[in-house]
Amino acid sequence: MPLTLAIHPVKEIRSGANTRLEGTILVIAEDELRDVVLKVPGIESVDFAIVRPGESCRAGPIFDVVEPRAKAPGGSPDWPGILSAPRIAGHGTTHVLNGAAVTLLREQSPGESGGTMGYVLEMSGAAAEGSHYATLNHLIVIPHTQPGLPAHAQQKSYRSAQLRLAVFLARTALDAIPERTQEFDLSSDENRTALPRVAYVGQIFSRQRKPEPDEQILYGGDTDGMLPTLLHPNEWLDGALLPSYHVSLGGAGTYFYQNHPVITELYRRHEAGELNFTGTVATIASADNFDRERNTRFGANLVKWALKADACVLTKFGGGVPHTDLSETARILECEGIKTAVQVTDLARDQRVESALLFNFPEVNAIVCIGGNSTKWRVPPVARVIAANSDLAEILAGPFEIDSLNVVGVANQQGASRLRSMVY
Amino acid sequence: MRVVHYLNQFFGGVGGEESAGLPLEARDGAVGPGNLLEQLLGDGARVVMTLVCGDNYAVENQQAMLAAALEKIAAAKADLFVAGPCFQAGRYGMVAGALCCAVQGKIGISVITGMAPENPGADLYRESLFIIDSGDNPAKMRDVLTRMASLAKKLTGKEAIGYPKDEGYIPRGLIRDRFVEKTAAERLVEMVLAKVKGEPFDSEMTAPAFAPVPMPPGVKDLRKAKLMLITDGGLVPKGNPDKIQGSAATRWGVYSIKGCDDLKGENYEISHGGYDPQFVRQDPDRLVPLDVMRELERDGYIGELYNEFFSTSGLANPLSNTRRMGREMAERAKQLGIDAIILTST
Repeated sequence: MPLTLAIHPVKEIRSGANTRLEGTILVIAEDELRDVVLKVPGIESVDFAIVRPGESCRAGPIFDVVEPRAKAPGGSPDWPGILSAPRIAGHGTTHVLNGAAVTLLREQSPGESGGTMGYVLEMSGAAAEGSHYATLNHLIVIPHTQPGLPAHAQQKSYRSAQLRLAVFLARTALDAIPERTQEFDLSSDENRTALPRVAYVGQIFSRQRKPEPDEQILYGGDTDGMLPTLLHPNEWLDGALLPSYHVSLGGAGTYFYQNHPVITELYRRHEAGELNFTGTVATIASADNFDRERNTRFGANLVKWALKADACVLTKFGGGVPHTDLSETARILECEGIKTAVQVTDLARDQRVESALLFNFPEVNAIVCIGGNSTKWRVPPVARVIAANSDLAEILAGPFEIDSLNVVGVANQQGASRLRSMVY
Repeated sequence: MRVVHYLNQFFGGVGGEESAGLPLEARDGAVGPGNLLEQLLGDGARVVMTLVCGDNYAVENQQAMLAAALEKIAAAKADLFVAGPCFQAGRYGMVAGALCCAVQGKIGISVITGMAPENPGADLYRESLFIIDSGDNPAKMRDVLTRMASLAKKLTGKEAIGYPKDEGYIPRGLIRDRFVEKTAAERLVEMVLAKVKGEPFDSEMTAPAFAPVPMPPGVKDLRKAKLMLITDGGLVPKGNPDKIQGSAATRWGVYSIKGCDDLKGENYEISHGGYDPQFVRQDPDRLVPLDVMRELERDGYIGELYNEFFSTSGLANPLSNTRRMGREMAERAKQLGIDAIILTST
């Protein structure tokens, strides 16, 4: 199932009369983009803004960040199960506007674990240095939905508008010659038997929340009743998966499914002849012990019998409870002789090691810990604040103190974070 | 730099175990290892006073000894207080730790000590202090004092302090974040490859070890027992009168259920993120099972249900908070003569 990324670097986004790709400049015609967005039910009007890397700019609250990508004819479709029929994602050619992002803002503060200000995009200063998102050219999309729309319908409109726009923009590259291409293919029949077989188990949702009605996470499905599922790594990269609306702890964005740091790193090491990337399992963190016992065992069983792995890396989604599912899966794998490393967020509000983890299995001893709780910044006022309304703009005006968990991209749980807990 | 140095009777040159009852003495200038310390600190550092005390005396009269020592250290106008190193000596380590903590807290000058990680003083004080890992061999005095002097100079100079393996101190069990070159994904794959090949790897976090909690004896006769309900699921009366925080709560509340057989959603709210509270909002008995407890009470299966429940929020709550709140709740329940508690969580 080979996937080819046709990569078109974008160095600048600029307004113009018609939407097109001119070398490394993405020209956008707002009227055309507006036509795309207003086809989505529930959206009454929309505003756009262009933001450059390093600009003195802050935008929020962020709903999601999506890389503009479009499928060339002949392969799998764009966003199967969501924008297209539910075919298997991950094969054929995908055109990528690398360096660009479609970033959509919420109209209200998400509240609860997202805090008053929600997730904020910082484009300059110390907070920006910790997030890959600050290096991108963003098309900021500010939708205005019908008053009184229920929250789930509103968020479905956001999602649909954002994905459609991202595809629309990347279609400008369908006939262009990419700067480079990148192959993702595990079907080589060369003899690799001496290399360790490594699998990936990734949580894609946490049942700390019930999915919203109609929430689209895996091929348009909401994960309700889901058992751990085998996925080809290319499915993660090419449109099978979306993060939940509840991305607590700044944990996940569509951009890092498309550019999944764990999957691309396993591919890189596979191609370097250091390991055999044997495949992936998508799973969810459970809400109760029955589900937890079943899901962790099913997940581990797939790694053992279907993927025949010698080693496995695991990541979690959401907050504290998913530590339990993550570590229990790793423990079962270790008992089966499969070596594991897990990635967690640090839960210690008191900055003490004893409070950092929700597990203490001696076997689960290889832990990557992206911190978060001891990093915050005092951010200054910026030249440009972009928000859906004046109340939100006032909250984001600065100066204020912001936790790393609220700066989108910093404490990312898909493997992109460069933050690390250091024990002293 | 003016330095005050603390030594026990042995390192102070008074004698061994037979002199362990020696009361606190102050001597002018450096004594024993203090001479080397002075030399290693350099830059005109001077040990202006050495406090010597017998280990037994110090442990048995700790409060009085601490007070007397603090007075002398303050009077000496010291910039730095050094205790030990104590190696494996347990009483010495305990006293050195207590002294350093007191000086740090009450006088506010830099302090440094050294101990073996197995020294009980290390266990007690390593979170609050920089304790150089001295190992258990006093023959390594020069090495240990070199590291103590080096870290002491950084502390008095208000320089950034590095990590335990660079500076040689016993890990304090605290966390701070740092941005590193490699992404979490790169670190994750690198770690699992090392592990599967049997090579060493450096886990970024260690799981804590907790002392097992002994199982309490069972309730002898439930029919005569007074029971109580406690929850950490964040159920509070509408308006959250005690302002219990929804995350990392520092407070807990006591709420009456007198004359009530069934909790109604309209009277309560949830102060607790991290779980989907809609089912508890519909019927709070799902979290605080008052309805079934009342049935058991009516049927005579239990003696009595206490007419208040305790509540807090367990979300992302560090152990330093929950230990304190747990202790407070247990004390209160004991005072109330409660025989058994049903704890409900989410």
